[in-house]
Amino acid sequence: MQKKLFLLFIFCTISTSAFAIKVFKYSVEGTPTSLDPVQSSTKYQNRIVSAICDTLYDYKYLKIPYELKPNLAAALPKISKDGLTYTIQIKKGVFFSDDPAFKGGKGRELTAEDFVYSIKRHFDPKTLPRGAWLWQGRIKGIDDWKTAGSDYKKQVEGLKAIDKYTIQISLVKPYPQLVYTLTKGYSAIVAKEVVEKYGPEISIHPVGSGPWVLGSFNNQKAVLLKNKKYREEIFDLKNEGYDEKIHGFTGIKSLQGKKLPIVDQIEINFMENFSMRWISFTKGSEIQFGFIPEQQFNNVIASRNPLSLNKEYAQKYYFLPQTEFAFRYLNFNMDDPKIGYNKDKELEKKNKALRIAIHKAWDWPQYIKTFFDDLGEAYPGIISPGIDGYDPTLSKEYITHDPEGAKKILKDNGWTAANLPDITYSMVSDIRQNQMYDQFRGWLITIGYPSSKIKKQTFASFGDYSKAVKSRKTMTIAMAWGLDFPDSENVLQLFYGPNSSPGSNNSNYNNPEYNALYEKASTMQPSKERSEIYKKMHKLLLEDSVTIAGFSRTDLWVWHKNVILYPVENVLGNYFKYVDIK
Amino acid sequence: MNEVIQNSTNKQTHTYGESLWSKALRKLRKDTIGIVAFFVVLIYLGIAVGVCLGFFGSSWDRFVTDGYSGMSRQHIFGTNLNGQDIFERALYGTKTAFQIGFIVAIVATFLGGILGAVAGFFSGKIPDVLITWFYGVIDSIPFYLFVAALAVALADNPYAMHIAMISTFWTSTCRIIRGEVIKIKHLEYIEAARAIGVSYTKIIFKHIIPNTIHILLVQSTILFVTAIKSEVILSFLNLGVKEGVSWGLMLAEAAQEVPAGNFNNFIAASGFMLILVLAFNTFSDALQDALDPKKVS
Repeated sequence: MQKKLFLLFIFCTISTSAFAIKVFKYSVEGTPTSLDPVQSSTKYQNRIVSAICDTLYDYKYLKIPYELKPNLAAALPKISKDGLTYTIQIKKGVFFSDDPAFKGGKGRELTAEDFVYSIKRHFDPKTLPRGAWLWQGRIKGIDDWKTAGSDYKKQVEGLKAIDKYTIQISLVKPYPQLVYTLTKGYSAIVAKEVVEKYGPEISIHPVGSGPWVLGSFNNQKAVLLKNKKYREEIFDLKNEGYDEKIHGFTGIKSLQGKKLPIVDQIEINFMENFSMRWISFTKGSEIQFGFIPEQQFNNVIASRNPLSLNKEYAQKYYFLPQTEFAFRYLNFNMDDPKIGYNKDKELEKKNKALRIAIHKAWDWPQYIKTFFDDLGEAYPGIISPGIDGYDPTLSKEYITHDPEGAKKILKDNGWTAANLPDITYSMVSDIRQNQMYDQFRGWLITIGYPSSKIKKQTFASFGDYSKAVKSRKTMTIAMAWGLDFPDSENVLQLFYGPNSSPGSNNSNYNNPEYNALYEKASTMQPSKERSEIYKKMHKLLLEDSVTIAGFSRTDLWVWHKNVILYPVENVLGNYFKYVDIK
Repeated sequence: MNEVIQNSTNKQTHTYGESLWSKALRKLRKDTIGIVAFFVVLIYLGIAVGVCLGFFGSSWDRFVTDGYSGMSRQHIFGTNLNGQDIFERALYGTKTAFQIGFIVAIVATFLGGILGAVAGFFSGKIPDVLITWFYGVIDSIPFYLFVAALAVALADNPYAMHIAMISTFWTSTCRIIRGEVIKIKHLEYIEAARAIGVSYTKIIFKHIIPNTIHILLVQSTILFVTAIKSEVILSFLNLGVKEGVSWGLMLAEAAQEVPAGNFNNFIAASGFMLILVLAFNTFSDALQDALDPKKVS
């Protein structure tokens, strides 16, 4: 009897471990509102969308500076000499995951037509698209197709499936950043049958050919399950840019030759509250990957230079400080006659002086110390170090706190406490934003701004705030911009006149000289000449004091030691497929 | 024996004909705890007036240190994330609390009193049906949802919170006054006034409402405390004050700081609020006891 029980115990143990699935759990601070690729405007949405639906291209997992690699495409595109035609071959034998939307419930093969259809959806107002700006005015005939009523039966001149596996994109003018746009969740491919079956509900029921299928999704959690029909993709250390010195500690080396995706399930918890996230992370049995909240910095960090965890945490977690691929800024709304352009040219000149004075009042070291644990340094302007167009010789005066200089400028330009306009700091109603406002208010008071003239304008949600910004109803815009791709064009377009609100240029800056330079540079391939143009544009922006920028936060990533990963949250969307659990 | 009778007769003479107010004052004087509470409230009122006049609390927004600092002689409760003196902010918060408490208590009591008197006087008739239906509807909406909806609807109106509180707080006063007026309107002096043709407005405002003042007074003290507590909760939820600083905002900051082991904002804001609310509640109870005709002793 005892022998039988022992055998039963052994059997149960073996079978439990044989059927145990690998689950990677992590959390993010924002909740995706839609998983439809055409609406994947936030990083939270982009990450899940690109995990479920394939994109043509992707970035190499570990390579810095970022380098493109084919994903669903068979190779990098063939570009015509004039830079206007891109021919892209896609991989054969790639299937959509099974879904009742397909005939017999079995996912069919993905073809070039699916890509064409997916991009067309951005120009169909019925889908409420958010990513059309990436291609509008660029792909031949796409805007006309939209104007003519977005009829999917009609062809777009510059967007064709030449055959089942070949895509051809023809451009109005050269667009060197096109390939980068094909890595974004916006360009992820969906099947027509799925869109037709689910309609708007595709936002909670996306179906693609990516490494994951959606298990469940609500405002608390998304569960992704391994796509058993995912094409053969083998992890190759060399191709992904592995460097023993940088990535050795992570154990990623052991992934060599493994079929992707590796784990069976991903659980993404949406938790806005930092303490909840931190408690869940340190508990041990819940979240396995996250970042150290500012409030926990002193409890967790042992030394600042170099940054390291204290002993207790270092034993349990891997740690990696990483500069975000984004920058923080405060823009002035140039459309507001009290701070920007004005019919009265004399007043417009005075407004420029006022902006410069506020710029000088801004104390970056204090800001970084107060809100970002004193990690990192500000840099002049919007082009961060390491990106094409960054100018190391730019004067530091653009990021120097100089209250005396600010007072002098105000005085020299005839500004007095009596005639200074009311300045309004717009923000989401939130305690952290309120503290930032308090700080901003304090700086202005030090340059002699009457406290009664410094006001805040609050919005209940980011959506409301964004809506007000888009309709030019805010005087200042304090936000952050995450780069869509590693090219300065992506930040310089934020100040291009024709992109004014509701476009991406929320400062509504409209300088003909700047616009002309942008138009010239935007069609150029990377070159020394283009870099020089970028630098010139950047200088114009700083001289006009349209924006107070910039700073990129240092994220302090931590993950459990049984998890194999390398944090690449910044640009790469779909990196879950590389994660493994020991 | 005669002397004893004489004394007791004197006492009775003293209480006969004594007005409700002088009786209440006499009773209140005997209530030591109530008097202490009243003085505490007066101290807070003094602070609020002092802040308004700029005697103290005016540097609540100045950066006095470089970020957080602990309790010290210069900064009793230390400084916050922005290096602002927490004690100064707590003092300024007193002004914010009194400003909200007074505005809400006065307007809500006034509104509730008038509407309650009208409803009570015309009980069973159309004005009564309309008013009771209206406060029934208001009461059926959860307070915080109602305030959140108003905050969104009124966008950046600095008085969104006051309007929300007044819109909901008047109902309790209205209900109580309505009941009291139904009782009063059947008294002989009112029936006599009606018989000789005194107008309804005059009866309500001259003969009825003055006789409910003691209830309104107690109600207003209760609303005052409720408003202060609600402000703290609303500010904590980022639906509160738009300008300046309040204890609620300080507690919202503390919510971020306490997990990191920094308790100064929490101690200052909750301490200030606790003492005021406790004192006001105690005073309110004492006032209620003193003004309650059933408790005549």
